[in-house]
Amino acid sequence: MRNKIAAFINKNRQFIPVMSTALLAVLAYTIGAIFYPGMRNPQVFFNIFRNNSFLLISAVGMTLVILTGGIDLSVSGMIALTTVSTAALLREGVDSWLVFLLMLLMGSLLGLIMGSIIAFLKVQPFIATLAGMWITRGLCFFISDDAISISNRTIEQISRIRIYIPGVTEAFEVAGKIPPYVSISVAVAFIIYISGIYISRYTRFGRTVYAIGGNEGRNEQSARLMGLPVTTTKVLVYTINGFCSGLAGIFFAVFVTSGHGLYATGLEMDVIASVVMGGTMLTGGSGYVFGTIFGVFILGLTQTLIQFNGSLSSWWTKVVIGVLTLIFIGVQSLLKQSKGGRRKGRALSGQALADHRKKRLITIGIIAGFAVMIGIILLAPKLGNQDGTQTTAQSGKCELQVFRQEQVPALIESGATIVYERNGGPNCVDELFAIYPDGRITGTNGKTDIEKQITIPDYELLLAGLVDNGWFTDELYDTWHTPCRQCYGYYLTVIKDGQVKTVKGVDGGTDAPAIYWQIISLVKGAVPKFDVSE
Amino acid sequence: MTTKNTAPILEKLTNSRLFYPLLALGIILLLDTIFIPDFFSIQIRNGDLYGRVIDIMRNASTVMVLALGMTLVIATGGIDLSVGGVMAIAASVAAIMMNPVIVGMELPADLMKFMNDPNFTYSPLWEVIIVSLIVALICGAWNGFLVAYMKIQPMVGTLILMIAGRGIAQLITNGVRIQIFYKPYAFLGQGWIILPISLYLAIILFVLIWMLTRKTSIGMFIESVGINPKASFYSGISEKKIKMLAYMICGLCAGIAGLIASSNIKTSDANNIGLTIELDAILAVVIGGTSMAGGRFSLLASLIGALVIQAITTSMYALGVPAFALQAVKGFVVIFVIFLYAEPVRQVFRKLTVKKAEKA
Repeated sequence: MRNKIAAFINKNRQFIPVMSTALLAVLAYTIGAIFYPGMRNPQVFFNIFRNNSFLLISAVGMTLVILTGGIDLSVSGMIALTTVSTAALLREGVDSWLVFLLMLLMGSLLGLIMGSIIAFLKVQPFIATLAGMWITRGLCFFISDDAISISNRTIEQISRIRIYIPGVTEAFEVAGKIPPYVSISVAVAFIIYISGIYISRYTRFGRTVYAIGGNEGRNEQSARLMGLPVTTTKVLVYTINGFCSGLAGIFFAVFVTSGHGLYATGLEMDVIASVVMGGTMLTGGSGYVFGTIFGVFILGLTQTLIQFNGSLSSWWTKVVIGVLTLIFIGVQSLLKQSKGGRRKGRALSGQALADHRKKRLITIGIIAGFAVMIGIILLAPKLGNQDGTQTTAQSGKCELQVFRQEQVPALIESGATIVYERNGGPNCVDELFAIYPDGRITGTNGKTDIEKQITIPDYELLLAGLVDNGWFTDELYDTWHTPCRQCYGYYLTVIKDGQVKTVKGVDGGTDAPAIYWQIISLVKGAVPKFDVSE
Repeated sequence: MTTKNTAPILEKLTNSRLFYPLLALGIILLLDTIFIPDFFSIQIRNGDLYGRVIDIMRNASTVMVLALGMTLVIATGGIDLSVGGVMAIAASVAAIMMNPVIVGMELPADLMKFMNDPNFTYSPLWEVIIVSLIVALICGAWNGFLVAYMKIQPMVGTLILMIAGRGIAQLITNGVRIQIFYKPYAFLGQGWIILPISLYLAIILFVLIWMLTRKTSIGMFIESVGINPKASFYSGISEKKIKMLAYMICGLCAGIAGLIASSNIKTSDANNIGLTIELDAILAVVIGGTSMAGGRFSLLASLIGALVIQAITTSMYALGVPAFALQAVKGFVVIFVIFLYAEPVRQVFRKLTVKKAEKA
């Protein structure tokens, strides 16, 4: 039995990195769902794809590049340039579909240029694409120094399209629950992903990609001697990646509805990390486009876990992804090193036995590394308590207050049009604000009262900002779960032209619509602040 | 008669490693003299020299120091992305040693009074420098260990410290930007004896590394490892030790650059010291003509490469180009340099010069 398993593993050893990533993804999601009930909501699962669709698009292109033994550092710059150009062109009134077409052309063209430099001038991909990153990022600032916001009907419509997953939706309707949905970017990302799999496995071009990158990227000469179109393929791979970057940039622009040269900084590292975690070797020639989705999923999942935990700063995402990437690179190089010995003996003796032990060590290593990661995420807030600092001592005592909703009707009666409440957080606050049409803002935190006067145009701007962001549309809905210890709960009621709508939400999760946080930050900017030292 | 003599000289010149970097520097300085008035004006204040050209040399000194170490690493066929992170670590170590207020160590009761004394320090200058350089050396050794002994790709292996380095630096200083009050330390980056001190430091380091590589056989070993590691292994050169040495020197250089940078801004800014400077260092080496694939290197050419970058930066600032847009200019410079050094383009050049010689 053991021999059979060992033989099976040996036979399918090229799938080990992919499979361990898939396993890791499932395991992490399960553990997350056990600790954070909010994660059991299926929409959270689909939100991971919604928030990272551009990453997936970019990662598919990057997988092909890495398979040839190259690398493309320019993706983040390309995405930034696409967002800025899209925003600038739309501001000039160019038709949005024409803009999309132009962006895809621009991405492909820049990819073509970089690919030509790499293939014809025999320049290291690292240097050529680094120059590409500098140029694309720099060009953004020639177009505009500041962020350009996008207000275009088509883009708004695109961002509002909801795609319900066939099969899943019916099941939810039967159960009487709100069915989860994805955005159009996810659908496009999956089309790109599936075409990536098809191209890499079933076309002549795809096999040439593998041939060029084989033998740790040293196979180029052999591929050329076999008569394969090495140069053309290399140029094409970078062109495809440029196209993917352009597409990712369009969806990034749709996602954030603005363009700026500093967007997506360091994204190329996330993309490369996803590809590596998806089981593709950085040296090239080995790996699958198929696995890339798991890498992207793990990356998104780590972000979600850290958001649900709420007390960890976002750079922990970088640390965890960095550690995981390193583990995967280590595993791959170990697998590669033990490859030579495996053909010598079928039975588990000598080298094969050593291989087997090594593999067991690797598996244990992955699991241990992962356990440490999860442990850090779960234990970090508890460890924080031992510092005995003032804030943690306070938050230790903190009991989340009940929302003072009963006061809201009274405030509305007195003429308030926006009622905003925030409670919880590390300092355990409970603040209730009311904003009146004459620009008066009153606030209370239970102990002290505060007042502020804003001008009436400012007030109108604020209210218009809320309504224009789609306050009264279906885009905003309650997403309430028990807040984590450091998170804030929000409660916002807006009245306009007889319409009344209240939306609750908790930060530190991904389930609330992104637009909700934009609105909250608008209100947060307007209301006066309580003296924290009290 | 004269044409026959000039053609070989021209050929000799174009074949020299210093020709292209010097040409680039010359072109930039020429453009500067045309477009920027008073570019070369130098003032004398208290016997020290000040001016744009001096500024270029002073600001370039950090990249010059880094480029020296980077040249050796690239010559072995590797790359070191972690220099910025190591700079931040060295700066943090130095700052915490001079001004350990925030870590809650047991301090003399009258410490705060000493804070106003510019000559007060918790540890003497030589101790600060030695300890932070040892830390930098350890960082370099870690990179060397990963690349030479663990056989991890240099780009990936050094990426660890590039990302983790800033985190480590934050840990050392407890996430605080430590102010440096100690005057002798600030002298490293801000002092002048006729010329800026940091420039002297870069030149001394250049001479030391040049002696180490060119007056011993180490330089040749590094080149042979870069050209063909297997062949050099069979001829009795320990490839691993040579790589280790290169990365350790690079770490040391990064440490020195970190000290210069932190003394220049008088803080240990773990988040911003040496941010993206690794790209400048690599660019300097590339402009200097050392092949990214490893092999023959020239330290002096890398120094000139660093000057070229700083000259571009300074002239762009003088022309009023915003800092972020500067990246695009740098990118175009890289593409241009790539074109100059690419084999097909060089062949065209060679054909041209040969034809000229034949005609003569």
